[in-house]
Amino acid sequence: MKTPRLSPQTLRVLEQFAERPTAWRYGYELSSETGLKSGTLYPILMRLAKYSLLETKWVMTEDGVPPRHTYRLTANGMELARAKQTTSRSGVRVRRTAFSGSKA
Amino acid sequence: MIPHALPRRVAAFLLQSAISIAPRDTLDWAHAMLAELRHVQGNWAALLWSLGSAGVLAKHALRSLIFPSRNRPTVLSGGDLFSKDGPMRRPALAITAACLIASLLFFVAPVFRQAFRVSLFPWQFLFKTDYSRLSPELQSIMKKAEQDNDAEALAFVAFRHPQSSESARLADEAVRLDPNLVWVYAIVPVRASSLPDRWVSTLERFDPQNALPHLIAAKKIDIDQVVRGNVPHRAEDNPPAWQSAMAAAFKSAKLDTYFSQRKALDCRVLLRYHVGDPDLIADNAWFYGLPSYSLSDAYRYAEVILASAQVLEAQGHTKAASEKYLSIARFGQLLSPDVRAWFCERTQQAYTRLAILAAKSSRPEEAAFYAVLADPKRQTEAQESSFSHRGFRSNQVARWDADLARRSGAVMLLSGALLVATLFAVFLRSRSLRLRSLRPGRLAIALGVSSSAAFLVSSLVLRLSYQPYAEIWQHFIRYGDETGLTNLRDFFARAYAPIGSGWLTPEQDYLSYFWFAVIVLCALALLVAVLRYFQSRPRANATI
Repeated sequence: MKTPRLSPQTLRVLEQFAERPTAWRYGYELSSETGLKSGTLYPILMRLAKYSLLETKWVMTEDGVPPRHTYRLTANGMELARAKQTTSRSGVRVRRTAFSGSKA
Repeated sequence: MIPHALPRRVAAFLLQSAISIAPRDTLDWAHAMLAELRHVQGNWAALLWSLGSAGVLAKHALRSLIFPSRNRPTVLSGGDLFSKDGPMRRPALAITAACLIASLLFFVAPVFRQAFRVSLFPWQFLFKTDYSRLSPELQSIMKKAEQDNDAEALAFVAFRHPQSSESARLADEAVRLDPNLVWVYAIVPVRASSLPDRWVSTLERFDPQNALPHLIAAKKIDIDQVVRGNVPHRAEDNPPAWQSAMAAAFKSAKLDTYFSQRKALDCRVLLRYHVGDPDLIADNAWFYGLPSYSLSDAYRYAEVILASAQVLEAQGHTKAASEKYLSIARFGQLLSPDVRAWFCERTQQAYTRLAILAAKSSRPEEAAFYAVLADPKRQTEAQESSFSHRGFRSNQVARWDADLARRSGAVMLLSGALLVATLFAVFLRSRSLRLRSLRPGRLAIALGVSSSAAFLVSSLVLRLSYQPYAEIWQHFIRYGDETGLTNLRDFFARAYAPIGSGWLTPEQDYLSYFWFAVIVLCALALLVAVLRYFQSRPRANATI
């Protein structure tokens, strides 16, 4: 699997997905939760899908309303999200140690 | 006051408009953005959502315009119902292949290959860097001629060798092998700037009645003066050697440039060595005739004679003055009709003075005769029928044919390059050489079909425009038929002119400038597209 370098905005999206890994999420919902505008969010979703890190599905919500596009991380996507979360936490720990002056 | 629903309506309209220009592979995402718009809370927030989404779609639309099929989806989602990506369009491929094969079939015919070479003449100044090198065709002729001791072939190469010293060596070798080829000495110096002194004396002995050796001697003095930067302003200030050479030339009974001998030799060598390159005669078509300085020398020397004759006339030496005027008129008659126009002003002056002298001497019939010869109308007619005017003004057909040929060649080069670039881009994008896996975009298909069609049409036009001249060339080589030689010479003279240069023509070629600008812009666009492709292609460590 390719392990792309992730931007802070992408990390934020991955974190949101990782909070409820099995749930299908809507675009507007993700935008509200991450604070990313549609012009930033959708290119991230498109690229995650391109790298097979995200699966997409059209769902019918109610009659007379067009179907909505929903998203969920694939197994690879989840693996990457967890790996990045771990790296991020250890990075924070190291930084804290360095600034606090105490040993890790 | 703005109605609450208006921003949302604008947002919907904006996003729907963006969907209409969105590439196929982003349609899923475009409809997803539109579907979410319905759920965005707040009208102004909906407008901002729409603006951001439309920006994303516009960016993809622009990218797909430059790189067709660039953003093909790699994951088939459940909502692939909006995708319209299909297999490769077979008719387009068939048309492209058919045009390409038909065009390549043209190249099987030697005449077409010859025509293609001719059409590339205008580009020689771009690609030919070393003008002192002998062409491969001439090199092979020279090698074989030296092995076989073929005097005529050596002379043939000597006429065309770009290096004076080598040209002189080959000419000497040709004359050594066949002493009847002494006239070769008169042709080689026409192109060479350095001339062995012994050649002029050999030529004088070979053909004592001919003015040509004297003109060559005068030319050699001219070149020496140019090299030293000491060119006299007045003809009278030329050195005595120049004066005596020109005097001898004006007294000569004939002026033979050995054109017919050279033509016959060229034909024999071209047939013997199976040379199909018209460049070998076209290159020298302009130099069949007098040495380059001779017309100017003759014009200036005639001025000296006229001045001295007028002095004699003033002193009452009418007979001596008449002799001098007659020497000018006689020399004018020696010149071939092709170049006579350049000297007609001097002959007109001479005939006018002769007419006046005859009238003074009470010889009215003689005066009337000279007056007719001096008639400006008659001189103008002679000028009109001269080579230069026939070549550049009257012979429009040869000019048009040459224009067609060189423009067809340019279109062939351009469309060929475009076709290769398109194919390269498609193969690069598909990362496969198998036809089934090729998935060119609309732009690639349009470029492929149009460039292959342009290649075919331009090949056909080139073939048709060159056909008459190929026949003239064949008749000239095989049978020595000179019927269309002037047309052939005019065709090649025009074919050499760089496109758009207006070279040898009174008018500027604005149409060529326009197309040149179009080509430059297309090339720049292609360059930008290639750069963008390499900048934006997905990499393993790309930031997502």
